[in-house]
Amino acid sequence: MAIELHQLTAAFYLIAGLAGLAGLAMPRARFGRAAPWLLAAGALVHGVAFAWLHTLPHPPLLTHLPSAVSLMGWLAAIASLVLLRRGRLAAVAALVAPLAFLAVFFASVSYRDLEPTPPADAGSWPHLHVIFASAGLALLGVAGIAGVLFLAADRGLKAKRPWRSRLPSLEALDRANSMALAGGFPLLSCGVVAGMLWTQGETGALWVGGAHAIWSIVAWAIYLALVVARFVAGWRGREAAASAALGFAFLLFVVIGVGAVA
Amino acid sequence: MKILLVGMNHRTAPVEVRERFAVDDPLPWLQKLVETPEIEEAALLSTCNRVEVIATARNLDSGRHRLRAFFHRELGHAAALPQHRSQSAVLYEHVDTDAVRHLFRVAASIDSLVVGEPQILGQVKDAYRVAAEGGACGPLLNRLFTSAFAAAKRVRNETQIAARPVSMARVAVELAGQIFETLADKHALLIGAGEMIEAALEALRGAGLASVAVANRTPERAAELAARHGATAHGLAELPALLAAADVVLTSIGVDRPLLDAPLFEDALRARRRKPIFAIDLGVPRNVDPAVNDLDDVYLYDVDDLGGVAEANAEERRRETVRAEAIVQEEVERFHGWLSALQAVPTIRRLRARAEAIRQAELDKSLGRLALGDAERQAVEALTRSIVNKLLHAPVSRLREQAEREEGLAYLEAAKVLFALDDPSAPGAGADGRDGEPEES
Repeated sequence: MAIELHQLTAAFYLIAGLAGLAGLAMPRARFGRAAPWLLAAGALVHGVAFAWLHTLPHPPLLTHLPSAVSLMGWLAAIASLVLLRRGRLAAVAALVAPLAFLAVFFASVSYRDLEPTPPADAGSWPHLHVIFASAGLALLGVAGIAGVLFLAADRGLKAKRPWRSRLPSLEALDRANSMALAGGFPLLSCGVVAGMLWTQGETGALWVGGAHAIWSIVAWAIYLALVVARFVAGWRGREAAASAALGFAFLLFVVIGVGAVA
Repeated sequence: MKILLVGMNHRTAPVEVRERFAVDDPLPWLQKLVETPEIEEAALLSTCNRVEVIATARNLDSGRHRLRAFFHRELGHAAALPQHRSQSAVLYEHVDTDAVRHLFRVAASIDSLVVGEPQILGQVKDAYRVAAEGGACGPLLNRLFTSAFAAAKRVRNETQIAARPVSMARVAVELAGQIFETLADKHALLIGAGEMIEAALEALRGAGLASVAVANRTPERAAELAARHGATAHGLAELPALLAAADVVLTSIGVDRPLLDAPLFEDALRARRRKPIFAIDLGVPRNVDPAVNDLDDVYLYDVDDLGGVAEANAEERRRETVRAEAIVQEEVERFHGWLSALQAVPTIRRLRARAEAIRQAELDKSLGRLALGDAERQAVEALTRSIVNKLLHAPVSRLREQAEREEGLAYLEAAKVLFALDDPSAPGAGADGRDGEPEES
């Protein structure tokens, strides 16, 4: 049942993404307006799916990549819906939806192969690590998507071919980027700290190295630099947008690329 | 019943002709029209771009003559239509489906000078309201106007015909909306004091900017303009400081070489912590160095760029017009279907009357010969009625269906011939339901 719920969630996210992208491409199409509602419906089902997983005798561990990625997709969907309520940022939700779809699809496929997992006994740090890191990643993902949209809109305006669609204004995208970064970085930091404490609980040392740990610290340092540049040195506009997009691409590589290899 | 439309618009008559025919209050004119025997119902639409009468008449020729005479001798305050144009060129005339389509196109703003402008639908609604309240509209025009409003609404909802502005100032405001989330906390700087600047002032004021500053070589002109539009006036010497505070800069001033260059903008950007500037250069020769567009966070549009956007918008409108025409055509056909179905009504009535008359006559004849009790009598009544109804059911429903189609008229004619409905000596020929029902003529 949990897998079916995940599949239903994936279907909602997929349709929301298609509707949202079609709405961007064809501003007159009314189904574009349905995208946020579909995304919200998907997020609701997704939440139910998580609850269902939790009631299983041997739920898949949250620390497994599929669970973490699924959680990330859920939080990103919620974050983009919150942004949507604050401004005309339907375009951000339209791009988040396909990513959320991929995350949930990946999770539902992976759950199928999972053996019932034995209960782990590692305290609450692993869970906190995944929850904080996923939330941070979700928000930084939203910042990256706002950045990509900013670059597209900026390019169109500079080239005197303004987007003939419902892209949000540059100002709104810049603000979304800044808000998501302001929320995402502290969460990511908490995730890193929780991860270190988890390592300490298992090995007795805060730092034991390993690909995931090293790359994560690099990504965190990059975001620290970005936060300083943005909120202290006053970066905005194109530089901020491009670095948010690149930063998120790097972060995805760290979590999924390195995680999958590991 | 014929639907007739006679009128003139911006394409057939220049403004000095149209203005003589324009009326403020159509009601007295309409009452004059519907009092005459040729015209059944009428409505008069008078806007700055058109004067049109749409009417229904029993007879095409007399109705047409009446409407033409109305324009020639009454409406234009007895002013003859200009001699240098043939009258037919100034006045156009549409009949039936063409008249319906014309009204639908007008209401949907396809026929407007600026295609997609939103005012015309309200004007058509007013014209209908005046005619309806004055008793000049009957069932046909009521339905016609209701259908026209439905067509206009569909065009508005289903096409982008009115979505994109085509005037420079409004294009600039639309573009500003792609850069800024809201204009309510934005400050504008206008450089110059000519007509362009005044038009821009009105558009920007309408867009609800927080403040507008006007800078000009002669500060007196700026002050005068600023006073009229609630802006502040400045001299050109204040430009660097003004630029640093401006989110929207619009220039239209006579210069030999660009007044604003990249270093000036660079300083302004630094002073405003790189908050973006939207610069609109309406000056020819240009007031702003084109190199400014290469700076990050400045979006510079000159006359040609804006013209390009306006032209793209106009192009989009033209494309949308094709879709709008298709919608109008659908609605015209729908109305036509209703009208045709209406035409079947008298024939169906005559058919029923004929059958009822025959039934009654035959029943009377037979009942006279038979000695039946009340119960049997009623049974025979019911039997005959049932037979007649069953026999008529299929032809009547087929007539109704076919009447909505192109070839429906042939079925109506066939029914008349087969059942001899036009034969006045046939039983039931008196009750043909002519009263008030539109029929083909």
